Amino acid sequence: MESTNIENGTNIVNKPFEFTGKAGEFFGIWIVNVALTILTLGIYSAWAKVRTNQYFYGNTLLDGSSFRYTANPKQILKGRIIAFIVFMLYFAASNVSPFFGAGAFFILMLLVPAFLVMSMAFRLKNSVYRNVRFNFDKNFSSVYKIFAIPVVVMSAYIFVVSQFQESIASGANGKPEFPIFVFVLLGIIALMAPWWEFMITNFRVKHSKYGNADFSFSATTKNYYWLYIKMVLVLIAISVVVGLVATGIAALFKSETADPSEIMQYMPVLMFIIIVPFYLWLFAYLATKRTNLLYNNIDIAGHKTQSDLKTGYMMYLYFTNTLGILLTLGLLMPWAKIRTARYRASVTSVNVVGDLSQFVAIQTDHQAALGEEMGEMFDMDLGF
Amino acid sequence: MIKGSYFSGETSDKKDVSLYYKEDGFVGFYELNIDDVNFNDINISSRLGNTPRYINFPDGSQFETLDNVAIDDMVKKLANDPLHGLAHKLESTKSFILFTVVAVILFGWLFVQYGIPAFSKQIAELLPEEASQYMGQGVLDAMDKGFFSESKLTKKRQNELTQLFNSLLKNIEGSKNYQLKFRLGGKIKANAFALPDGTIVFTDELINLAENDLEIAAIMLHEIGHLKNHHSLRATIQQFSLGMFVMVVTGDVSTSSSIITAIPVMLVESGFSQGMETEADNYSLEYMKKHKIEPNHFATMMEKLEASYSMEYQVCMDSLSDKGNNRLKRIKCINDAVQLSKSESNDNDKSAMDYFSTHPSSKERIDRFRQK
Repeated sequence: MESTNIENGTNIVNKPFEFTGKAGEFFGIWIVNVALTILTLGIYSAWAKVRTNQYFYGNTLLDGSSFRYTANPKQILKGRIIAFIVFMLYFAASNVSPFFGAGAFFILMLLVPAFLVMSMAFRLKNSVYRNVRFNFDKNFSSVYKIFAIPVVVMSAYIFVVSQFQESIASGANGKPEFPIFVFVLLGIIALMAPWWEFMITNFRVKHSKYGNADFSFSATTKNYYWLYIKMVLVLIAISVVVGLVATGIAALFKSETADPSEIMQYMPVLMFIIIVPFYLWLFAYLATKRTNLLYNNIDIAGHKTQSDLKTGYMMYLYFTNTLGILLTLGLLMPWAKIRTARYRASVTSVNVVGDLSQFVAIQTDHQAALGEEMGEMFDMDLGF
Repeated sequence: MIKGSYFSGETSDKKDVSLYYKEDGFVGFYELNIDDVNFNDINISSRLGNTPRYINFPDGSQFETLDNVAIDDMVKKLANDPLHGLAHKLESTKSFILFTVVAVILFGWLFVQYGIPAFSKQIAELLPEEASQYMGQGVLDAMDKGFFSESKLTKKRQNELTQLFNSLLKNIEGSKNYQLKFRLGGKIKANAFALPDGTIVFTDELINLAENDLEIAAIMLHEIGHLKNHHSLRATIQQFSLGMFVMVVTGDVSTSSSIITAIPVMLVESGFSQGMETEADNYSLEYMKKHKIEPNHFATMMEKLEASYSMEYQVCMDSLSDKGNNRLKRIKCINDAVQLSKSESNDNDKSAMDYFSTHPSSKERIDRFRQK
């Protein structure tokens, strides 16, 4: 639905995103991708990735025009081969000795910020709308500055904990002293997390461009703290309720039978009933609120994006997707992807000031695929 | 005539246009005042479902249309490229899709069930002995720090058992660096395991369950079976290949939360592990039959092992004033526990959790040694 309102003389129109993908149609693309990937020992996976992305981009419409993914499969394949070699070396290193494993892990960690930047640049430079490319400033020094403080704190934490373990292992004299410092560091890490998430998101948005137009980001650190404070409050409330119910059930069982193994029998079931919704909520809450916070604060040359994902509906989607995929041995994976994309698009829109015709393209070089593919192999999904 | 939108590539301005093409291979737009372009100089995106098609012109401009049929028609008339649209043909042919689904499921199952284990076995046998030596270095050190303490068995008893171990090794080729070590298990309780470098560790608690040393020999043979079959190395290779396989099949599915792949992977890995336990059991069984050792000893020991984790056994052992130094009292505790667990469990049902276990169910394992 489009709604119009006039503000200060300019015409602002709310243009919704539209997703036109069909589960049945995508199933064919997906299964052929899987089969060809297996048949070519993984080589086709680069083409599979491009076709999948092209399907989702192409079916995402804004104001009657589609998005287009233009990555070159050969470039992605090159990145994948290098990533595969690195992955094998890392796996071998960590199996030969924990020391080598830790060393390899450390080196990879040092490269993470660089991968993050390259991955963003690759993805955005290969995203096109109305024949104008998105873009990303490769600013390595500021991303390393953002990572510096958390890395120092985390290293301090790992150092203190390993020292403590060492002292347990070697010092048999009396009970080892648990360093209070560990709690202080843990507290600092927890308190820092929302600030850090803000910094990294802010970095990602502010270095993005559409044509020559910069993205601006109006969310504040405060917004991110609120997001997590609300989460913690709900978690506390849930724990209290679960605690009360659990004691109630335990009391009930005690009155009937004194055998503790009787209760233990039901523990897996109880854990399942409690833990599954708990995780589901946590996942859905974070995914929903983070996305909303992000898109509700992006401004591109006056055009503002909007997102209104609902935690409850996301829980329902996650639950039914997981169930469907598990029960069909993965065959419903395409269906799950399509309905998630459709829901996301349906609640996302842009408040267009005037129209979308005045963006100016800039000439860009092509970004090597290495960064993105490395990020993918080591499981960091950084996309918008 | 194909209706669509035209974008210059300089700005995001959109023009509604109609594209025409002539038999001589030239393409142009009715609404725009630009020269016709040779068909060979334009780039037409390949068809992908019903997503829009894009035609890119040498000057950087782009034409976008939803009329896939018309574009396909134009490509057929003007281009002589049989490969154009091949992927789409495969992706949209119902019978081919059905065939692919069956083929992928069948192949996936065969590959995971038989392919990965067989191929890991091949590689493990090809790798030099040193590969095993490097693996798991420091595992025993870590376990000594975390769980074990020094064995309380007497030197005499340790020597007896080492002699038994060496007498078993006499008949086994390539076992020169196998060695036996004893530890007080503590939290680990009654257990035995083989490290990739050839060290076999027995806990005092396990040794103390045996009434007859042949029962211990049966377990030693099981652990030797793990070593002979390079199980540590194979498990590592299997884990790696399974990880790669999952990565290849799921591709970059970001919607799949980890649980979707975690559960099947756990099931498959348990299956691999159960397979290797059965192999080690087989090794023990073969050896015992060949060298006229009664296979019942293995079964007896398995029953005791299982019963030793029961509450009743722990209570009985704790009640012994001399901390279990009296052999007869100790044996009575375990035999009582075995009797009790036999009388309690008569159900043959395999519970769902058994599929996640690293070991086959004890009952299955015991039955195999009782029959033969």
